[in-house]
Amino acid sequence: MDQFLQALINGVALGGMYAILVLGFSVIWGVMGVINFAHGEFVMLGAYMAWLANNQLGVDPFLSAPFIFVLMMGIGYLLQLLLVNRVIDRPHLVSLLVMFGVSIIMANGLKLIFSADFRRADSSLRGAYDLTDNITLPVTKTAVFFIALAVLGGLSLFLQSTRLGKSIRAAAQNREAAQIVGININKVYAITFALCIGITGLAGALISPILSIAPFQGPPLTLRAFAVTAMAGLGSVKGALGGAIVLGLIEATVAVYVSGIGTNLAIIASFVILVVALVVRPQGLFGGLRPVDATAS
Amino acid sequence: MLKKNPLYAIFLVLSLVAAACSGSSSEVAEGTSESDTDGTTEGSETNEQVDFDGTIKVGAALSETGKFSVEGADSRRGYDTWAQWVNTNGGIEVGDKVYDVEIIYYDDESDADTAANLTTKLIDQDKVDFLLGPYSSGLTVGASAIAEKNNVLMIEGNGTANSMFERGFKNLFLVATIASDYTKSGIEELAAGGAKTAVIAYEDTAFPTAVADGAQEHLEANGIEVLAVEKYPKDIQDVSAIMTKFRGLEPDIFVGGGHYNDAVLFVNSAKELGWDPDGMLITVGPSNPKLAEELGEDLNGVTGPTQWEATMAYEGDYFGSAAQYAEYFQEQHGQPPVYQAASATASGLALQIAIEEAGALDTDSVRTALLEMDAQTFYGPINFDERGVNTAKPMGTVQVIDGEIPVVAPEAAKIRDLEYPIAN
Amino acid sequence: MNLISFLNSPAAKKLGWALCGLAVAGMAILPMTHFGSNAELFTLTLMLTSIGVAINWNITGGFTGYVDFGHAVWFGLGAYVTSMLMAISIKLDPVTLEETVEADGLGTAWGPVPAIIVGALFTGLCAAGIGRATMRLKGPYFSIAMLGTLVAVREIVRVAEPITGGGVGLNLPPYINRPLFYYIHLVLVVVLGVFTWWLRKSQFGTNLIAIREDEIGAEMRGINTIATKVAAFSFSGFSTAVFGGLWAYQNTSVDPDIAFIETRTIDAVLGTLFGGIGTVLGPILGSAGLFWLKEVLWARFTESHLIFQGVLLILLVMYMPKGIAGLFDTRGTSLATIWSKWMPSKDESPDASPTPKSGSGKPVVDTVATSNEGAV
Repeated sequence: MDQFLQALINGVALGGMYAILVLGFSVIWGVMGVINFAHGEFVMLGAYMAWLANNQLGVDPFLSAPFIFVLMMGIGYLLQLLLVNRVIDRPHLVSLLVMFGVSIIMANGLKLIFSADFRRADSSLRGAYDLTDNITLPVTKTAVFFIALAVLGGLSLFLQSTRLGKSIRAAAQNREAAQIVGININKVYAITFALCIGITGLAGALISPILSIAPFQGPPLTLRAFAVTAMAGLGSVKGALGGAIVLGLIEATVAVYVSGIGTNLAIIASFVILVVALVVRPQGLFGGLRPVDATAS
Repeated sequence: MLKKNPLYAIFLVLSLVAAACSGSSSEVAEGTSESDTDGTTEGSETNEQVDFDGTIKVGAALSETGKFSVEGADSRRGYDTWAQWVNTNGGIEVGDKVYDVEIIYYDDESDADTAANLTTKLIDQDKVDFLLGPYSSGLTVGASAIAEKNNVLMIEGNGTANSMFERGFKNLFLVATIASDYTKSGIEELAAGGAKTAVIAYEDTAFPTAVADGAQEHLEANGIEVLAVEKYPKDIQDVSAIMTKFRGLEPDIFVGGGHYNDAVLFVNSAKELGWDPDGMLITVGPSNPKLAEELGEDLNGVTGPTQWEATMAYEGDYFGSAAQYAEYFQEQHGQPPVYQAASATASGLALQIAIEEAGALDTDSVRTALLEMDAQTFYGPINFDERGVNTAKPMGTVQVIDGEIPVVAPEAAKIRDLEYPIAN
Repeated sequence: MNLISFLNSPAAKKLGWALCGLAVAGMAILPMTHFGSNAELFTLTLMLTSIGVAINWNITGGFTGYVDFGHAVWFGLGAYVTSMLMAISIKLDPVTLEETVEADGLGTAWGPVPAIIVGALFTGLCAAGIGRATMRLKGPYFSIAMLGTLVAVREIVRVAEPITGGGVGLNLPPYINRPLFYYIHLVLVVVLGVFTWWLRKSQFGTNLIAIREDEIGAEMRGINTIATKVAAFSFSGFSTAVFGGLWAYQNTSVDPDIAFIETRTIDAVLGTLFGGIGTVLGPILGSAGLFWLKEVLWARFTESHLIFQGVLLILLVMYMPKGIAGLFDTRGTSLATIWSKWMPSKDESPDASPTPKSGSGKPVVDTVATSNEGAV
């Protein structure tokens, strides 16, 4: 029983971490139709910034995270201006391949700058908090979980209640109609992209004390973002949380109860669920910003 | 009609010709420039001392780029150290003649296909006499198959997975300790300290699997009960599930293996679950000072295997003691040798000893000399078994204690006692 | 324009065919010349493998319009089934030094020919089954489902340790004969090239293009779209698996991470894009060109060559969407066109294609693709 509760706690905490990790990917796809293949590399870039601040200046990643958020927003805005904007009106595969090119450039660029060594940032929020004798709360992941909730809630509120947020949702649902009612679509896209890259960099900073930081650690994260987004529905904020927690719970529990190959099975399970979910319920389990039906032609 | 457009054909011809030419020209250009620089730097210093009767050509595909670029560079420094030493210390005696050594390197990009291709090239085009191994088991598997088929000896120290030595190859020799014995001295020491139960987690690839299979045997042989064995796929991001399960089993020691990255995950995950086993033995990482730097006090007490450390009490006719080798290496490269570099140097050294013993350069004579070899070196004793594996050298074990990484096992090489259980 | 019209004249056509034949003949006699060292032949064999995979990818991705991001799964399955049928391990008795050969994998220790054929047939069947399910999806969703399939199959192979050797993989009897492998690959690629040329002209090929351009319309014209696209997908899987099986044999060992490596898909997609997607010669020209470019970049800029590759990809996608062949062949397509079919709300491609346009007054025009069109 203790072990089950522990697995549950691990799963939810992991899910919270995945939620903030995939949020930016999901919203960029949902609003702009851009599949950000370089997502994992942006996470790593944020993580490297946190590591650098930690290693050189001794700043805790949780403290540098807000600054990294702002910095990455700037990078996102520039990238949108210079590159993404030029392909935004072309079909998804074009932007996907362009972003794939960006991911190759970023991963190898990071390697040139930071070498292929694994890094980890140090945070004062770490270790375990004992709930009972046999159940502990992982401190770093729990902190990330609550920050993730706050960011998700904040973004949700922003999209629902502010004028800009409403414009973003309108642009996601029907671009032409949004333009007709006078929404500056380029501005909306630029803000969305900047915001999402900012959140992604923030996520990178937050995970820098948890996961190892290395130039080629990006693709597994991008793959998870795919899995969560496909399960959850494009651009759905609550879907990202739901999908991420489902993925986290699968990873945390299957391995505890199946001996020997449990970890492998958990990965198989999450990708089989991805494929089956797509085939059976292509609009996602939670509904999204973007009305897409993958089987309609 | 466009479909029969001859422009297609022109493009086809151009691209095929270009591909064929570039394949040859660019690589050859690289090869010669590499060997030229090596040849001249070594030659200029040596010519003043001895007139050599000839040059022994040795080839190696090493990773200059890609995921093994760091270890590939370490291995190259190790090989260079050997060549430099040979060429400035009288060369290699073959019968009544004296030869110097030239090493031809290519960059295998950490890619198995490329490593195999370059091995073919070293044999066919550069006509090397002998081969030294690439870095990692994954790259050595393919390269050694080509060496075997071409009847060229390959001596290596940085690809230790057992599966490579279950192919009946006659031309592959490993100076380092084989993967299945990585944890032997560590487990013996932990058992002596009083450990009774253990759990194992390992990455599901060739090298960690061999290490874990070996660990299981050594644990059982030392009367330690194995409570659980878990494997996990490459590129894992989170091991909290495995650690949760292990914590419930309350074992005395944790044995984990995979890559450097996994060591970080295991130590972090144990900490965040509040789990402090009496001993932790982690295959890759603890011997690397960088890990202690990254993880700080969390790593305290963790043990890990090492092929070689400069503090070990080994000595031989060439290079002198381990410490003297380290000093020589430091002079050459401005940095201390890691064990990957020492293993590389030892590979070259084993080849040299065998050639001198055989008094000939043909594959069969040198192979016989390798099989009969029983030498003491700075790297430890070298004595190959019938598979071509050096079974004489025991694996060392280090423990991270207060930021230092002293050798704690085996008895002959240790400079400090194992701390068990870890005081937390 | 003059060049194009000259190239369309009958004399030039004959010249072109002669050059085509010459190229193949040149490659056929290469092993007998001084360029034909084993190392060169191995390099060229690897190039032929990537061409073969790209041709197969183009059948689903280019002709049928289903952009498969997990195509490496068929290569890996072919490699694995072949290896499971052939695998052996040799144990040396420490005392008597006697060798004992044990069959690994499925315990059959077959020869290479039946193993590769069975491996490819099995993979073809798997492709039919998986394609039947995933080809219900369109556009990016199909692509992602295939990417998920690749990861899932790789992990399943890893878990099925008793027959696959798990993460350690399997060893094959080493047989290294570079000229032989080279000729086999050359013949396979030529046959496959001629086959796709025939396919493109056949009724079946026309049906594939019809599916790509307008699946519902094709259905209404009486084409059994499901059977047609799944058959093409299955063939593509089968044929890719042949190259996978040969690769495994020539590599002398397999493990899940190298057999199912993602870059194989990426190379196929890039090569096809570079050459011209949806054309017969596009994947051949593109893969050969890309392979050559990589060799050059690799030799000149060891540390940063991958960065150049990324830049090249971006430039290619943005400024040359129809590839080399697209410069003079209007029948090719671009990925933009393919995916635009599935993006009814905003992504109607203004690309040069017979897509039925919806009436929305889109302000932005894909100028690059249009100017390519103008040049022909």
